[in-house]
Amino acid sequence: MEEAKRHTSAEYERELQEIRDGLLYMGALTEKALEKGTTALVERDSELAKQVICEDDQIDRLDFELEEKCIRLLALRQPAARDLRFITTSIKITGHLERIGDMAANITEKVLILNEIPQIKAYIDLPRMVQIVRGMIRRSLDAMVSEDVELAHRVREEDVIIDRLNEQIFRELLTFMMEEPHKIQVCLYIMQISKSLERIADHAEGIADMVIYMITGKSVRHQPTCGPMG
Amino acid sequence: MKRRLSFRLFVAFLTIGVIAALIAGFLIDRELKGALMRWSEEEMAAEARLIALIPPDQVSARIVEFAVSAGARITLLDAAGRVLADSNPAAIEPGNPLYRTEVQEARLRGEGSAVRYSRTLAIELQYVALALTERGEIKRYIRLARPIQDVVRSMESFRRIFLWVLVPVLFIPLLLCLIYSIRTISPIGKLVAFTEKVQVGQISGMVRIPSRDEIGVLAANINGMVAVLQEKIRAADGEKRKLQSLFTGMVEGIVVLDAGGRIETLNRGMEEATGRSQGELIGRTPLEAFRNISLQDALERFRQSGTPTFREMTLGDENPVVMDVTISAIRGEAGGEEKTLLVFHDVTRLKKLERVRTDFVANVTHEIRTPLTAIIGFVETLEQGALEDREKTYKFLATIRENAERLNRLVDDLLTLSGIELGEESLRLERLSLEGALDDVLALVTARVFEKELKLIREVPEGLPPIRADRDRLAQILLNVLDNAVKFTPAGGSIAVTVEPGDERTLIVRIADTGVGIPKGEIPRLGERFYRADKTRSREMGGTGLGLSIVKHLMKAHGGRMAIESTLGHGTTVSLHFPLYEEST
Repeated sequence: MEEAKRHTSAEYERELQEIRDGLLYMGALTEKALEKGTTALVERDSELAKQVICEDDQIDRLDFELEEKCIRLLALRQPAARDLRFITTSIKITGHLERIGDMAANITEKVLILNEIPQIKAYIDLPRMVQIVRGMIRRSLDAMVSEDVELAHRVREEDVIIDRLNEQIFRELLTFMMEEPHKIQVCLYIMQISKSLERIADHAEGIADMVIYMITGKSVRHQPTCGPMG
Repeated sequence: MKRRLSFRLFVAFLTIGVIAALIAGFLIDRELKGALMRWSEEEMAAEARLIALIPPDQVSARIVEFAVSAGARITLLDAAGRVLADSNPAAIEPGNPLYRTEVQEARLRGEGSAVRYSRTLAIELQYVALALTERGEIKRYIRLARPIQDVVRSMESFRRIFLWVLVPVLFIPLLLCLIYSIRTISPIGKLVAFTEKVQVGQISGMVRIPSRDEIGVLAANINGMVAVLQEKIRAADGEKRKLQSLFTGMVEGIVVLDAGGRIETLNRGMEEATGRSQGELIGRTPLEAFRNISLQDALERFRQSGTPTFREMTLGDENPVVMDVTISAIRGEAGGEEKTLLVFHDVTRLKKLERVRTDFVANVTHEIRTPLTAIIGFVETLEQGALEDREKTYKFLATIRENAERLNRLVDDLLTLSGIELGEESLRLERLSLEGALDDVLALVTARVFEKELKLIREVPEGLPPIRADRDRLAQILLNVLDNAVKFTPAGGSIAVTVEPGDERTLIVRIADTGVGIPKGEIPRLGERFYRADKTRSREMGGTGLGLSIVKHLMKAHGGRMAIESTLGHGTTVSLHFPLYEEST
């Protein structure tokens, strides 16, 4: 009896770890997609871009599998307290990651088009944004692994930087478009990419929110962020 | 523990002593009592026989007198049991005395005895009866009765003495045996204390017990065991330290996963490669620790196949390192948990070199193919009939020639580069005047400077110290830099050539143009082979993409260096730092 109980508990532990690892794997995939998408943009490598779009299927499949696993655990193990919070937030986090994956694919589709038309200037701000956004995804999941509320709060604050960069790009492109109308097409695509990155940052913030809820049991969603901007 | 054992020993001795004393006392008591009774009985029988010798009527008359001297009650009976006389008539019991045990015995055997409780006197009495016969017929009986109180009293006094003697006689051996048991037990106590210390891991020292009995042997054996144990532990420790230093000292990163797939151990190599401490990584799954998809996929494949798996991957975000990872199983003793061993080998440098090489090959091929394609194309056009058109033929031939020359230049440059890469040995260093070399080169480019209507400013002070250089190579360096300046400066611009002393050991040649300039981000890459800041324009101008690379390498071979400053749209300044000629060298 005791043996069976311990076995079940070890099994349960393993299943929880599987979910955790699944989330991390998905996170790593989205990061990779973003990284490759950026490389495809900067080096005008359309082959790489096509690869990214194909790989989004894997993220979608993982999202589905993870959700199944979470629901199965909820039904079979009836987890309580922390574990319950972990599983329910995992369902939400996988949703966020799936959306991030979709947006990465979206961005890459724009990259494919951009690679067909002449470049107007070297891409500097977009790779920077990607760098920050990737850091946000990574750190939000790091916060989950190490149960670090402080880190999760820092991720929330970084969203402000992304918002500012997005606005800056918007203004810059607006000037370009007003000066030279033939650049409007390129500018619009770049704007869409920037907007998508801003949305990805929002999703990363959402993950951080979920992590904070998972650790503390308190919801911080829909609260204004007190970032460096005040 | 110690007290209980000695106590038990003491109790055992005590019990044995007490039992022995009791048995002895009981036996002595019984024998003594019997002997006393027998003695009293015989005494009474002797007295009875004496009385029997006295005529019966005298006996009857003086019975009380006899009784006092015999110390007993005397009864005289006739053959039918009637009392003829009694020294103490108050003690006569009811019933016929003939049926008393002693009288009956006397009737049958002549003498009889018994011990009986007299109800009338309320004490225990010893009776002795004697039958008096005349011509074989019993006429009378004489019976003597005496209380056994005397016997009882002497028995009591004996018992008292016995007990008084017993206590000290028992006490002394008991004291001895207590001392003995304590002395026997105390070395065992020492052994216990010592073995307890060994048990908790304090395996040192030895237990000293001088006795030569079994306990002494046991102590010697325990000492021997501890010594062997110490030796074994020392050996194991040494072995462990050796392995540990090997493990930590290895450059390769090593990670061991436990049966649950979590990081159990990792070495310093791994910490250095990932820039993270053990504390951050131990207990995590590889995915939690490294967040690497390639690694996770490789692990997954290893788990499915069970055979060693190799994979190349990039670890780290800010300082990515390319790692060659080998995943294999650690099989411990049978039934033990199976662990996974990950060995990471840093191949970043190798990768970079490989990349440089493949890039170089790709670039060379590309550079060679471009003029070749042109040559083949024009030759084909000529073959297909353009030869008829004299004017076009000359034009085409000129282009073919131009491309062939470019190929030639490229091959020359490549040869130069590979020559320089062999190092200083290929240089013939001598004492040279920089001024002279500079003027020779300037003379070569003057024609083209005029052609492009450029202004050439020469600022070379008099009496410059000589430099240490290879004459031909020096010319090549200056020509390559000047050539670039001429090429990238639009008509009407100017090129300034200045020479000034640097620190005590160098002379600096600055060639500044007012050309197109180079974006800041690209300056560090200028020395790379086939790197062109402005790809299309450079090729149009017949460059091989190797010019600055050659300069950079040559300067290095000379022990000097090249520095480039540039502002986009305003011009570029190339500074060449030459080492001075020193007599000693």
